This record gives sequence, structure tokens and C-alpha cells, in this order.
Amino acid sequence: MLGQHHNLIPLLESDPGKTHINAVPALLSDTEPKHLSVEGDASKPPFTFRPQKIRLNKDHEFFEDGDVHRHMYLQDLATSATQDAQPAKVCEFCCHISGCSQRFDTLEGYEHHYSTLHRHVCATCRRCLPSARLLDIHIQEWHDSLFTVMAQKQSMYQCLVEGCNLKFSSSVQRKDHLIRTHSYPADFRFDKAKKNKRVKERSRVAERSSGMEVCEEGAGRPGTGGSEEPCEVMDVSQTSSSVADVSQTPGSGSERGHVSAPSEAPTASSQKPRYTYRVPQSICFGQGSVRGFRGGRRKK
Amino acid sequence: MWRLKAVGHKARPQDVGLDEFKLKRREQEKALRQARRDQQLVSKRLLLHDDEDDGEGPMDTRAIPSREQVVELVRGLLIGGEKRVCQFRELRRALGHPEVQLIFIKLENSMRVVVGLLSGLDDQCRVEAGKCLHTLSHSPHPEVGMACLSATPYLLTYLSGQSARFTELCLYTLGNLCPENELIRKKLLAQGIIPSLAQCIQNHSGTLAVLEAAAFTLSQLLQAKDVEQIIPLVLASGLAPHLMAGLEPDAEYGIGAATECAWCLHYLSCSETCSSVLVNQGALPRCSSVLVTVGGAVAHGESLEGLELLIWPLLRCVGNLLAHGDVCQGEGVCVTDCRLLAALCVFAQGFLHTHPALARESLWALNNLTADSAVWCSAVLCSGLVPVLIQLMPFSQGINSMVLRTLGNVAHKGTAFCLQLAQAGLLPSLCATLKMAETEVVTLSLEVLYLLVASSPQVADEFVQLKGLPVLEMMLFNSEESLRLRASHIIDQLPQPVVQQT
Repeated sequence: MLGQHHNLIPLLESDPGKTHINAVPALLSDTEPKHLSVEGDASKPPFTFRPQKIRLNKDHEFFEDGDVHRHMYLQDLATSATQDAQPAKVCEFCCHISGCSQRFDTLEGYEHHYSTLHRHVCATCRRCLPSARLLDIHIQEWHDSLFTVMAQKQSMYQCLVEGCNLKFSSSVQRKDHLIRTHSYPADFRFDKAKKNKRVKERSRVAERSSGMEVCEEGAGRPGTGGSEEPCEVMDVSQTSSSVADVSQTPGSGSERGHVSAPSEAPTASSQKPRYTYRVPQSICFGQGSVRGFRGGRRKK
Repeated sequence: MWRLKAVGHKARPQDVGLDEFKLKRREQEKALRQARRDQQLVSKRLLLHDDEDDGEGPMDTRAIPSREQVVELVRGLLIGGEKRVCQFRELRRALGHPEVQLIFIKLENSMRVVVGLLSGLDDQCRVEAGKCLHTLSHSPHPEVGMACLSATPYLLTYLSGQSARFTELCLYTLGNLCPENELIRKKLLAQGIIPSLAQCIQNHSGTLAVLEAAAFTLSQLLQAKDVEQIIPLVLASGLAPHLMAGLEPDAEYGIGAATECAWCLHYLSCSETCSSVLVNQGALPRCSSVLVTVGGAVAHGESLEGLELLIWPLLRCVGNLLAHGDVCQGEGVCVTDCRLLAALCVFAQGFLHTHPALARESLWALNNLTADSAVWCSAVLCSGLVPVLIQLMPFSQGINSMVLRTLGNVAHKGTAFCLQLAQAGLLPSLCATLKMAETEVVTLSLEVLYLLVASSPQVADEFVQLKGLPVLEMMLFNSEESLRLRASHIIDQLPQPVVQQT
């Protein structure tokens, strides 16, 4: 308890002569408040804070605790501080992404949630990746038509492990490398291959697209078999149908766990403008924005 | 250093377990809260007399006397002689039971007998009669209080007497009657209770027990709904200077008297009409000085028990008087001691985990001190208080909002202030409060942040370097439009970050 106020004690015990307000080196306030005359600001800034002295009526709610304590004393109900203690509550944190509103007791909890679900999200297909690097790789491999073209001529598929700079000519080979060299599991969640275009899924995709107003540029990349991934909840409707696809699609042995995906790269690219889909790290599109889908959600 | 000298402070009864006691206490606290919300928060104090110190309170286990027995007891008072004191004591014990109180007042002549003895020549009888009346005044039944009205002219007369102990008794009796109802108050006011109180305090100026009792009685009057009629009388009587003088804690007596005076001043300072008078009489520097003294004690970890009862009303006085009207003018009328800032911070820190509401009120006073005042804002900065305030930002229930308002007051003053706030480490904390659940906290955080980044490119740069931009961008997806607007406006003021390709 004593250590708690150590920085304030010297001030409290100063010579009264030295603590007169007139002795304080007063800073100069701005003659023109800067925040009110910001350049390029045609409209009035939406800020309303003004310093104000708050006056409180004796019956105000603000005073309730103190009054109750006073009357408990009068009625001889007062006890020692330890029995009385009602510690201050730490403010909860809340995810501010519209529609998310999850609450957390600690900043760490909040940051973890945000990093997991909102930070590295692909703008095109809404998938959450755990790091900027994997997001980059995802966008490149899934949504970049230039990549697709180049991959036909050279090894473009990077190994996912940091520091291993090997590249492969197909995702299958990379996956193989991950399993053999880096002991990755076969069903590593963040290594789902983009499937080639299949005719029968095109219509399905079109169907799905109509249900997904938000994803215009690239009708949601189908999710993967990994519906356990929390980020992909919004993709579940696709996932489930995709899962159904897997069972129907023969010859997917070497790519087990990979969902056959219609490749609508050409279709998509005709809709997509030509710039990277790597959403800047600072922007994220959270789950909430996806929930505004009108149109039926298939079975979860 | 200071004991809390509580009048009639009862220890926890031996036969009651701790958990049971705590439960009962919580229930009583809940009842008090509800009473306050219903604007019916009323309390009475019961003096314990010497012959009751053996732990036997009025609620002893003896059988409740019957009507006949009570009649007998009253009759016994008329007889006189040595037995009279015993009779009185028996009667007083009986009157400790609320049911007996009702029986007593309905008996013909019973009150008249007691009042007669109160006003008689035998001074020992006067005291004993006074004790009986005091017990009656503590009754939960309103009709009992009404029945005591016939005694009040005498009680008031005795206030100007010499006997301190008897005066104290009369005061607490009157104090218990005041909150009963408007009728009683009207009568007491007509009978001159206010000037009597002033005179009493003056007569017994050395006796803190009397001051405590008188201030308690006054506080009971001032909590009434019809207080605005009472205020002019209080001001005219010259009670205010006495109350202010009585604020100093006493090493021997403790803080009981100071506490009662402080509560009176709080109730007075809530009244607009009264505030100017109080300010002109120097209430601000006076309250501030006591807070500084007490702040020192708290900072040193000296006995905290009960001190909050004194601190609370003083904070409210200072808070409300600072908010009153215009800038105070004149010598010796304003707060001039910077140590008050330290005291306020000590209270905010020190009571955070025992009485967070007190911490919050302390910060409210700080807000009122700094609002629109360049000198006080400068003082906050150069006293090194910003880190202290920052440490309070995680706490809810109005604590962090008040901290943000105070910091907003400082930031509002302009560039020089904002620079120092940034240097003191405010920006990282704002990044945290922006993520909190309470909308008010987030809004205030955005307001303060805007003031900071708009003040100079230096601060704006620092914010960007601290990776504050993503936090704001996340705000663009908030469901509240007002937050989105603010966030987007701030983003527009920020320099674009240099994109690092990792």
C-alpha cells in the first residue's frame, strides 16, 4: 500500500509556498484551437467533446454508493474496509467489428480473437489466414490469374515454412514436400489447393453466387473440408455442399482433403479489376460483414 | 492517527456467525439503496448510555412488558425518591421495544409525565427523561416521533445549557426527529432550531462531541425534500463558518465531528443559492486544505478505516463548488494549492479496490478543476500526474470515462499540452481504450485522440508508428455510426503509413 503512492508523496509533502498554482509554469494554450480548423475540412468535424464542469444534484445516482455508505455508518452497520471491499471492475474489451461483438476480459484475449478472426482475411473469399505471409500466398495462388499463368511454366508454389525458400510446380508437390521434409500433417488447414474448373460445379457456384451478394468479384471460393476452422463459418454453406462434392468426385485420392472447386478464374477475372487482392494488413473484413447475406444459407 | 469515534458503535454480536452477519449486512445495504432510489433514505442514531455498555442493547431477551407493566412503570416515576432512577432505567429498557413504544404513547398522560420531568427542577430527572425521549426518538414508528413533539421546546431550550453531555443527548434526539416528516420539521423550524444550533455550537466551541451532534442534527434537516426553505435560515444563522472551522480532524477526538460538518457542507453546496455564499466564505480552499492533509495520511497508508466518510463529502463540496457559476474572484476564494491534485490522485488510486465510487468522485473533482483552466491543466502535466491517470484507464464504472474527460480537458488546451500528453505515454493507452466495450469510453477515446493528432504532425506520426491506424480502421466496421464517423475523420488527418512488405 505504501509503495502505491510513492510518486505522489513528494508532491503532497512539498512546502506549501512552492505548491501555489501561480508558481506552476503555465503552458500556453493555443489561441486558435487547431482541432476546429483543420485544413481541407469542409464539413464540421463530428467531434463533440468540450471541457465541462459537471455539477451534480445531491440525489444524483453518481452519489449513491457514498450515501449508502454514510447511512450504513449512521445505522451502526459500518464495518472494516476489508469486509466492505468491492473492488473496481476492469473494463471489458469488445470486438468492434459489426456483428461480432464478442467480449473479452483482457486485452490479450481481444487481440488474440482479432488476430485469429479478423486480421488476415482475404477480401475475395473471406478466409482467415493466421499470418500475413500465408495470406499473401493464398491470394497469390487462389486469386491471382497471373500466378496461374506463370505456374504453368515455372515453379511458383512456395513452401509454407518460413525460411525454406523452395518452390514447386504444383500444390501437390509442395504438399508432399511439407509432409516429407517438414513433417506437416496431410490435412494441414492452411494448405488447401485450389481446384481446377469442373463443369458440374459451375452451376453450383452460380447458385451459390446468387446467395452471396457481397462476393461479387469472385463468388466465394469454396471453403474446404475443414469446416472446423472457425474463420470459415461463413463458408460453411459452401463447404457442406463442397463436401458432398468430394464424395462424388472420383480420383481425388492424391488430393484427399482437398475440395473440388470450380475454377472460375476466367469468370472471376472478367469481373475482377486487375490489382492485387491482398487486402492490406490494416483492413479486414470481418465475419460480420458477411452475415448480411440475403439469400438462403444452406445447411450448416 | 485518527480513530473514528463513532457514537454508539455496535460490535458484531457474538452469537452471530460471520457469514450470517455479512449476509444481513448485504441485505441492509440493498434496502438502503432502494430507499435512496425512493428518496426515502433516512437514518437515526442511537446513543448508548453508560449503563447499557454491558453489551445488552435494547433488544435484550427479556420478556416484552405488558401494557399494565408499562402503566406501572410510568406511575413509578411520579413517586420519586431514590428508586426513581431505577424506574427510569426500567422504563427506558422497556421503551427499547418498538411495540412498547406504541403502547406508551397511547397511554393517557404517559408522555406528559416524562415531559414534565424533563422540564422539572430535578436535574437528574431531566437527564433520565431525556434518555427516555432519546430512545423514543429512535423509533421506527412515525406516530412515536409525532408524540415526542411536546418535548421539543424543552430540548431546544437546553441546547443553550452548559452541560455538554446533556446537550449532546438533546441534539441527537432532535436529530432523530427531524427526518420524520414535514410537520415535525416545520414545528422545529418555527421553534427556532437553526439559531439554537448555531448558538449551541458557539457555546460549546471546545467540545467536539457537541459539534458532532449539532452537525448531525443539521445534516438531518438538510437532507429533507423541503431543504430549499431551510437553506436561507441556515445561511442567515452563520452556521456555515462554524461548519468550515469544524472540518479539521482532531488527533484526540478523531474525525467524527469533521465528518458531520463535511456532510452538512455537501448538502449545502448542492444548493445553487448556497454555493455562492459558501464560495465567498472560502469553502474551497478550506475543503481543499483538509483533503490535502487527509491525502497525506492515506498516502502513508495510515489507518484508512472510516476516513472515506470524511473524504467523500469533502470531494463533493469541492466538485460542486468548482462547478458553480463563474470563475471565482477575490482573494482566498479559489483553490490555489497544487497539492490538491496529488491528494485527488491518491484517493483515486488508494480507494480503487475498496470504494471505487470514491475513486470516481475524486476524478470528477479533478475534471472540474481542470476544465477550461490552462493553469490547472499545466499543473497536471508538470506534477507528473498523467502516468498516474493512465494507470486508472482500465477500470470501468465511470472511472475511465472521468479520466478521459480530464485528459480531454488538458488536450483541449492545444499543441503544447498535447505534446506533453503524448510524451507521457497517452497514445498507447488510447489504443487500448479504443477496444473497450463501453461506448462512452470508446467515444471519449476517439475525441481525445482527435485532439491529440490534430494538434501536431509529430503526435500524428507517433500514433501511426504505434500502429494505431489499424485500430481506427477496425472502427470503420463498428455498428455505431457516430464511432465510424469519428474514426474516419481521424484517419483522414493521419499521414499514410509507409507500407512495409514483410
